[in-house]
Amino acid sequence: MTFKRVTESNMDDVGCFSSEMGRTRGFCLVAPDFLIQSLRDISEFFVSRRLGDKMEEKNMQVADLGCGDTELLRLLKIYPCIQLLVGVDIDEEKLQSNGHHLSPFLGEFVKPRDLDLTVTLYHGSVVERDSRLLGFDLITCIELIEHLDSDHLARFPEVVFGYLSPAMIVISTPNSEFNPLFPIVTLRDADHKFEWNRMEFQTWALQVANRYNYSVEFTGVGKPPAGAEHVGFCTQIGVFWRNSGGAPGPCVSQQHDQHVYKAVYTVSYPSLQQERVLKFELVSEVLLQVERLRLWHLRTLREQKRGAGTVPKEPSVAPSLMLDLFTEAEKARIENSPKPFCEGSRFFVPLQRLLAYPRLHRLPVDEERMRSLLADSVCLSSDGSAVKVDLRNTWDWEPDDY
Amino acid sequence: MSGRARVRARGMARSPGALAGECTQASPSVPRMLMPSDLSDSEASFSGGMEGTSRISQNCDKSVSSGDVGSTFVEKVVKVRRDYVDLGVCTRAKLAHVRDSKTGSSGIPVKLATNLFNLDLPQDWQLYQYHVTYIPDLASRRLRIALLYNHSRLSDHAKAFDGTILFLSQKLEEKVTELSTETQRGETVKMTVTLTRELPSSSPMCIQVFNIIFKKILKKLSMYQIGRNFYKPSEPVEIPQHKLSLWPGFAVSVSHFERKLLFVADVSYKVLRNETVLEFMTDLCYKIGTSCFIQTCEQQLIGLIVLTRYNNKTYRIDDIDWSVKPTCTFQRRDGSEITYVDYYKQQYNITLSDLNQPVLVSLLKSRRNDNTEPKIVHLMPELCFLTGLAGQVTSDFQLMKAVAEEIRLSPLGRQQRLARLVDDIQRNKDARFELETWGLHFGSQMSLTGRVVPSEKILMQDHVCQPMSAADWSKDIRTCKILSVQSLNKWLIVCSNRAENVIDGFLSCLRRVGSSMGFNVGYPKIIKVQENVAAFLRAIQQHVDLDVQLVMCILPSNQNYYDCIKKYLSSDCPVPSQCVLSRTLNKQGMMMSIATKIALQMSCKLGGELWAVEIPLKSLMVAGIDVCKDKFSKQMVVVGFVASLNPRITRWFSRCILQRTTTDIADCLKVFMTGALKEWYKHNHDFPARIIVYRDGVGDGQLKAVIEYEVPQLLSSVAESGSKISSRLSVIVVRKKCLPRFFTEMDRTVQNAPLGTVVDSEATRPEWYDFYLISQAAYRGTVRPTHYNVIYDDNGLKPDHMQRLTFKLCHLYYNWQGLISIPAPCQYAHKLTYLVAQSIHKEPNLELASYLYYL
Repeated sequence: MTFKRVTESNMDDVGCFSSEMGRTRGFCLVAPDFLIQSLRDISEFFVSRRLGDKMEEKNMQVADLGCGDTELLRLLKIYPCIQLLVGVDIDEEKLQSNGHHLSPFLGEFVKPRDLDLTVTLYHGSVVERDSRLLGFDLITCIELIEHLDSDHLARFPEVVFGYLSPAMIVISTPNSEFNPLFPIVTLRDADHKFEWNRMEFQTWALQVANRYNYSVEFTGVGKPPAGAEHVGFCTQIGVFWRNSGGAPGPCVSQQHDQHVYKAVYTVSYPSLQQERVLKFELVSEVLLQVERLRLWHLRTLREQKRGAGTVPKEPSVAPSLMLDLFTEAEKARIENSPKPFCEGSRFFVPLQRLLAYPRLHRLPVDEERMRSLLADSVCLSSDGSAVKVDLRNTWDWEPDDY
Repeated sequence: MSGRARVRARGMARSPGALAGECTQASPSVPRMLMPSDLSDSEASFSGGMEGTSRISQNCDKSVSSGDVGSTFVEKVVKVRRDYVDLGVCTRAKLAHVRDSKTGSSGIPVKLATNLFNLDLPQDWQLYQYHVTYIPDLASRRLRIALLYNHSRLSDHAKAFDGTILFLSQKLEEKVTELSTETQRGETVKMTVTLTRELPSSSPMCIQVFNIIFKKILKKLSMYQIGRNFYKPSEPVEIPQHKLSLWPGFAVSVSHFERKLLFVADVSYKVLRNETVLEFMTDLCYKIGTSCFIQTCEQQLIGLIVLTRYNNKTYRIDDIDWSVKPTCTFQRRDGSEITYVDYYKQQYNITLSDLNQPVLVSLLKSRRNDNTEPKIVHLMPELCFLTGLAGQVTSDFQLMKAVAEEIRLSPLGRQQRLARLVDDIQRNKDARFELETWGLHFGSQMSLTGRVVPSEKILMQDHVCQPMSAADWSKDIRTCKILSVQSLNKWLIVCSNRAENVIDGFLSCLRRVGSSMGFNVGYPKIIKVQENVAAFLRAIQQHVDLDVQLVMCILPSNQNYYDCIKKYLSSDCPVPSQCVLSRTLNKQGMMMSIATKIALQMSCKLGGELWAVEIPLKSLMVAGIDVCKDKFSKQMVVVGFVASLNPRITRWFSRCILQRTTTDIADCLKVFMTGALKEWYKHNHDFPARIIVYRDGVGDGQLKAVIEYEVPQLLSSVAESGSKISSRLSVIVVRKKCLPRFFTEMDRTVQNAPLGTVVDSEATRPEWYDFYLISQAAYRGTVRPTHYNVIYDDNGLKPDHMQRLTFKLCHLYYNWQGLISIPAPCQYAHKLTYLVAQSIHKEPNLELASYLYYL
C-alpha cells in the first residue's frame, strides 16, 4: 500500500518527541519534521490513492475539519487539481492568525496556476451541518475525534458521513498502545477526551463505515522503535471510501442552503482561467518565443555569412543546457507547423507555429482566441496569422564587436 | 581573486571537503518554510527578523533562523534594526548654537502638504519591556510564544513577543510576575516575566515596535513585504511587451519627528520581470553564442535579486555554480541525502524540466550573530524570477520609457494613492483593532510651513545673470562668456574611418560655440584608425606627448572602448580626454546644443571655470565625499573626495582611492584632506578659515561610524595642517533617498514644492541639526527633497546661512546649466567614483587632480 511504503521509511526515531509532547494535535510540536512529514504523507497518499492515474482530474474539493494551524491545507494547496480548499475549526483566533499563510506566494502572481483555487477558512464545529461543504471529494479529520466529547462523537458520523458524505474521508487518532513508549504515560494532550487502542478505533470505524455505506482501510504513521513493533503506529489512520452503490450524497430536501459556519478568511488565486492573467501569460510567452526565434534566425544568418553556407542544425550551446527539450511528439508538432519567415526587415512567426511550442500549447487558447488576446499588445501581420517584429533591434548584442 | 572564486573559497573554508563539502552544506532555498515557528510570523522578532529585512539580504521572512532551536536565547540581546540605529545618534546636543533653534528665517514662507500622518498616543504612553524565562527551560520558540499568549493573565494585553523579550503597552502590577501554565501533556511550566525597561514612545526600540505593528497591518491589507517595502501583487500594472509587471506598493515608516510621532508613506513599485533566470540564460545564449557565455552570464546576473516561485523570499545572486546540477544531492536537515529534483517534487510538487541547469548561489547573512559565516543557499534558475531593473535591460530605451510612464506619479496621483492607503487602514477591522489595542490613533495628514529661499544670480565673465528658471539657465547664458579657460591649441581627435564624414561639421560647430563662450578651440590633429579598441589605444599611445592638452575620441557604440581609453588616459598617461559617440554626432538637428555641451565639458577638463555664484564667506573650502562599489569586485569600495581650491568655489581638487572593505566607511580621508589643504595653500598662500564637508553615500545605520571614524580623520588633518589658526570644520551628511515629500496645494490640486524650498521644522528630527532642501526640478513626476544632517559644526554658522550656502552650492555643477539635487562637490565626487568604479578600477593619476577630468 502506497501509504505504508511512504511512511515506514521515515519517522523512525520516536526519541525525538520524548522530551516534549505537542499541544495541538497530539502529533507534537517539537518534532515538526514528523508532523509535516505525516501531513505530507497524508496529502501524498490522498492524491495517489484518490486520483490514481486520474491526476488530470480537475475541480477537486477538499476540506480539513479541525484544521488548526492550517498546515495540512498549506501542503494540499500545491496540488494543481484542487480548486476549492476549505478549513474548519472552532478556534477563530487561530484561523485569523493563520489565514495569511494560505495566501498565494509572490511567485504565483508571476507564474499563475492553470486552474482557479479558492481557499476558505470557516469558524464552526464539526457537528454542525453547513451545506457549503456538501459534495466534496475528500474530507480529512486529522487528530480530531479524540477532542470530541461523547455527545459530539456520537453526532460526528451523522454529520460527516451521513450529511456531508464526501467521496473519501481520512480520520487519524492517537494509538494508545504506543503511549507506554513515552516517558510520561498519560493522555497525549490535556484536551483529549480519550485515546483509543487499535481495536477500539477499528471497531468504531467499521461500525460507522457499515452504517453509511463506506469501505474502510487502516494504516498509520510513526513506526515504533525496534523491539516494540507490536504496539503499532504512533498514530492510527482510517481511510474511508464511499461505496459506489451507496447513497449518492444528501437528498434534495437537505440541499437547501444552510450556512452556519462563519467565513473567517478567503482568498482566490490568480489562474489562467482568468482572462487578464491568461492574456498576460500568453503575450509574455508569445514574445519570449518570437524573440528566441528571431535571435536564432539572426544567428543562422550570421553563421551563413561567416561560414560560407554551413548552416548549423540546432543551436549548439556549449554548456549543454537551457534548450527547450522537446519530446518526439512535440518536435513533430513543431516541424509540421508553418515556419517563421522574413519579409524585408520584418520577421514573422505564424500563430500556428507558436501554438506548437509546448509552453504555448498548454495554454487554453486556440488560434482565434490567441489572435483576439494578442490584438492590442502585439503587432500582427495584415491577415492576422502571424506575429510581426523587426528583424533587428538597436540594442541587439553583436558579438562581432567584441 | 574574482568575486566568484571568493564565494567558493569561503564555502571551502568552512568545510575542508572542498566541492563536495560545499554541495552538502548548501541547502536548496530553505527547506523549512513550513516549520511551525513560521506560524509566529505575526509575532515580533526583535533581533533576527528585523535585520533580515535589511538592504543586503532582503529576506523578509524569518523562517531561516527558526530551525535552530537553541542555546542562543540566553545571551540574546535586543538589537535595534539599522534604520533606527541612526535615530539614537544625538548630534544636535553637542552643537550649542542650534540647541534652541535650528530654523532659518530668510525667504518666503510657503504652506506645504506632506506625506506625513499624525499618529497620536496618550500622553503618558510608555512601552514596557519584559524578560521572560521558563522553568523548565523550553527550547521551542513557538512553544514559548504559545504558552505565553494563551495565558489568561496576558490575554487582554497588546503584546509583542519573540520568545524571550516581551513588550506590553500596559504595565503589569508587579515588577516580577510569576505565571504558571500547563502544557497539553500536563507538564507544569513556570514563566517568570520580569520588567527590564520602561521606554518612552520616542525611544528607538519603541519605534521599532511601532513599525512591527504597521508591518502586521499592511499584511492584513493583503500586501507582501519585499525588502523593506510592501507590495500588492494582486493589482499589478502589466507591460507584456517588455515582459514586465509592476507591483504597486508603499515604503512606510513610523518614527519620531521633530515634535511628535508620525507615520510616513511613499508610493513604491516593485518591478518583476516575467522571466525565469533559466529563460534569461537561454536567451542570452541564443544572443551571444557560447564562446563568452559563462562570463557574460555571470556579469549580468550576479548581484541581481531573484524571487523564488515556491515561497515569498527574495535572494541576491552571489554566484553561479556551473558544476552543480539538479540531479546532484544535498543533505537535508535530518541528514538524509536527496537530489534537488526529488526535493522540489516532494516539497512543492514542482517538476524541474531542465536537468542541466546550473545552480544560483546566494549567501544568507546570519541574523543572530554577525561573526558567523554566511549560509550558502542553492537556487534553481528555473524557479527564480528576476526582479528589478538592472544590467542589460536598462539600456533598452523603449522598456525604460514604458516603465517610467507607469511609475512616474504626479504629486496629485501620489497623494491620492496615499489617501487610499490610509482609507484602507482605517476601514479594515483588524487593522483598526491592532492600532486600538496599542493605544495608537491614526490621525490626519500633516501640513507644515516651509520657506522658499531667494534665488541666486549666476556670475559670468562680464555679466550677471538672473535666470528665468533656476532649473535650467542654458538659454539665459547662451551669449555670455564663461569665467576663464585656457585656449585649446594642441589636441587630438581619434576616430574610425567611418566617422570621418561627421568630423568637419562637428569641428566647425565646436569652434563656433567655443568662441562665443570665450573658449578658443584650435585645429586638432585628426587620426583615423581601424574600428577596434586596440587600434584606438595604439593611436593614442603613439600620438600623445607632453604638449597634448586633450584627446577626443569619436567612438563606435561600445562601452569597451570607453573603459579602455579612460583607463589609459586617466591613470597610465594622464591627459584629459573627451569621448563622444559617433551616433551622437549624427543627430543633425541638435548639433549646436551637442557642441555646446561638449565645449563646456572640454573647457572644464582643461581647468576652466564656467560660472560662479556669490559666496559671502571669505576663505571657505567646500568638499564632497561619495562612495561607490566597484563594478567587478563588490568587496572594493571606491571613495572619492572633491574639494574647492579657491574662495570663489570654481576650481576643484580631487582624490580617489579603492578601498577593500565591506562597509562604506572611508578610512583615507586624512590623506585626502591634507592633500586638499596643501593644494589650497599653493593657490591661496594661506589655509582656509572654514571648511564644510558634504558627505554623500552614507547608508542606514552608518551615521555613528561616520561620526566616530570619519570626522576625527578630517579634524586631525586640519589640526596638523600647520596653519596658525586652525580651520573650522563642519560636516554634513547628505541623503537623496528620504521618505518625506512636500507639495503645495493650489486650486484643489497638488503641485511640487518650488525650487529652493527649505523645510527645517516638523518633518525634521529633534536629535539632529537637519533640514530638507528642494534644489531640483521635476517636470513630470514628484520631486524628492534632499535631506541634510549637520553632524559636526565648528563654524557655528546660523542655520539660515548653512541652508543658503548649501543651496548656492547646488548651482555649481558644471555639467549641467541649472540646479541639481545635491551640492556640486558631492556630485563631482559621485561622478569621479562612478568613473573609477565602472571603467578605470584603479587610482587615477594625481597629475589630473586639479582638473575636472571625470566629467
